[in-house]
Amino acid sequence: MAAQTLAEAAILGGHHAQAFPYFGAERRGAPVRAFTRIDDKRISIRSQIYEPDMVVILDETLLEIDPVVDGLRSNGSAVVNTRKAPSELDIGVSVRCATVDATSVAIEALKAPVVNTAMLGAVAKVLDLVTLENIQKAIADRFGEKLGPRAAEANVLAAQLAYDGTKEGRCLGARSIVQRRMWLPEWDEVPTGVALEPEHIEGVAVGPGSSIQNMTGTWRTSSPKYDREKCIRCLRCWFTCPDVCIKRLEDDHVKVDYRYCKGCGICADVCPVDAIDMVKGVHEW
Amino acid sequence: MTADEISTIKEMPNNDYFVSGHGACPGCGVAIAVNNIMRILGSDTTVYVPASCLIVFSALYPTSAFRTPLLFTAFENTGAVITGIKAAQRRRGIEGTVVGIAGDGGTFDIGLQALSGAAERQEDVLYICVDNEAYMNTGIQRSGSTPFGAWTTTTPVGKVTQGKRQMKKDVMDLVIAHDPEYAATLSIAHYNDFIRKVEKAKHKSGFRFLHVLTPCVPGWRTEASKSVEIAKLAVETGMWTLFEYEEGEARSTYKPHTMRPVTEYLHMQGRFRHMDNDDLNTLQRWLCAKWYYHYGHDVEQPACAIYNGEKELHFDGDPLHGV
Ligand SMILES: Cc1ncc(C[n+]2csc(CCOP(=O)(O)OP(=O)(O)O)c2C)c(N)n1
Ligand code: SF4
Ligand code: SF4
Ligand code: SF4
Repeated sequence: MAAQTLAEAAILGGHHAQAFPYFGAERRGAPVRAFTRIDDKRISIRSQIYEPDMVVILDETLLEIDPVVDGLRSNGSAVVNTRKAPSELDIGVSVRCATVDATSVAIEALKAPVVNTAMLGAVAKVLDLVTLENIQKAIADRFGEKLGPRAAEANVLAAQLAYDGTKEGRCLGARSIVQRRMWLPEWDEVPTGVALEPEHIEGVAVGPGSSIQNMTGTWRTSSPKYDREKCIRCLRCWFTCPDVCIKRLEDDHVKVDYRYCKGCGICADVCPVDAIDMVKGVHEW
Repeated sequence: MTADEISTIKEMPNNDYFVSGHGACPGCGVAIAVNNIMRILGSDTTVYVPASCLIVFSALYPTSAFRTPLLFTAFENTGAVITGIKAAQRRRGIEGTVVGIAGDGGTFDIGLQALSGAAERQEDVLYICVDNEAYMNTGIQRSGSTPFGAWTTTTPVGKVTQGKRQMKKDVMDLVIAHDPEYAATLSIAHYNDFIRKVEKAKHKSGFRFLHVLTPCVPGWRTEASKSVEIAKLAVETGMWTLFEYEEGEARSTYKPHTMRPVTEYLHMQGRFRHMDNDDLNTLQRWLCAKWYYHYGHDVEQPACAIYNGEKELHFDGDPLHGV
């Protein structure tokens, strides 16, 4: 949303711009990333951005768990939501930095810690390509249309307050940039005839069993509701679920893992005692 | 499904080697088959998958739904690649099952010569064909496995022709002609039979071939929730027969009580909806002959001439591998 609003603000200023989310199925609750690309010419490139000129970090704690500043150019800049001043902040690369306490700003203006519009105000302060005025206009358009004029006004205010409260300077580059747990083995490092155990595949982005980071449950339009009382523990549903999301418990009762359930309805179809009922919509029980 | 058929699901290990988060269509029959095959084959398994739906949905870059090593090269070479993997493992002293899981295109058509080579050399590998009766990964083109009458994008339905004109190739007979160590047909709706056959294949050494019917929701134009029911009806109508071959003999492993009319199976699938009476009769007649081939006179086939008052069919002589 913020990436898109930034692109719209740039377009209002006469530039060409594009915005898009990270390409790939992300774990629910995982850090979200999105990209904005701004140019004076028409943009034909469609790839993700690997070497950004600016990184906007909405949550300071991400620095501990995600390589957020990876690829940032040394002449680039960063905008970070933090209470710290730039000179007190260590993001792993020493670049031009702007810091803002966007969380406090959002709570003041929006009564909720939703920081994207506040962060856009801070971006307007450091990024020559957009003006605060155009940012606010883009915010008003987007929020006005979706949530009404009062929400638009509050978010415009958040941008203003953040713009005013942004401190500029240079941050530190002492810490090492965390790397995601990744496994990109050479061919001869692949264990032959050996399987990784479930505890090893949790959090592994690449390699055996890593598909569990793809939350296919978002595909579903109806959801299986399980009635434990009726269940005769025949395990037909466990056998026939294509998405391996009927989990078999110690006593052969079952449990649906809704993070992956695509709502195909096979489990309900094969159940001999109607212990599973398909309910329209995305639900969890 | 009778009560005794399901009893051995309970005996299956509760340990998944094919995990959630893969990208198969909701209701995918291939995913159901592969999940349970992997539960039974277990940890000491190396998997090879050629170009097909399975490789695309189980290896969404950069992830893998297999907890075992998974290899992928080209489309036509399953028999050759699993031969090579086994040879390398033998050389390095690694034990375990080497399994190749290919689609029907990769088995019946383009992969046939590599399959035949591996079978003829009696390689110590397990070859599994997950048969969704068309080239699904590239958007539903006909294969040697597509049944008579079925719509695909390359057997369209129009004024000139109506779906595929040829009968389904009998790949099991081709494989059996190599006298493999073990060969069997499987259904995702006959759990007990399925489990027993995978287990058997796992513990034998030599060339083993498993052929699973795997309903495909977009390719067969079906409802996602019906994949298992359709697989079951395939057996009841004779569109699929459950048997196994070992020690030079084929044996039915499940006999329906009676032959149900093929229309019961066809009507659940959009790919057959256009079929006229002539085509239905042609298919039904072919099925009756096939029924006899597998079951002899053991199982009644009252469904053999139900359209347009056709003459009743009667099959006689020795069944080839009916029991
Ligand atoms: C030599 C070659 N020809 C064509 C292709 C394109 N191709 C990739 S998968 C596929 C179809 C696979 O069909 P099938 O084996 O039936 O498996 P399914 O996808 O139906 O499971 C084709 C034609 C290819 N990869 N290599
Ligand atoms: S609806 Fe389909 S995906 Fe969901 S639990 Fe049932 S069988 Fe599995
Ligand atoms: S199919 Fe029905 S009865 Fe059998 S285990 Fe699943 S919920 Fe229970
Ligand atoms: S197209 Fe068919 S075989 Fe391929 S993933 Fe979808 S349901 Fe499965």
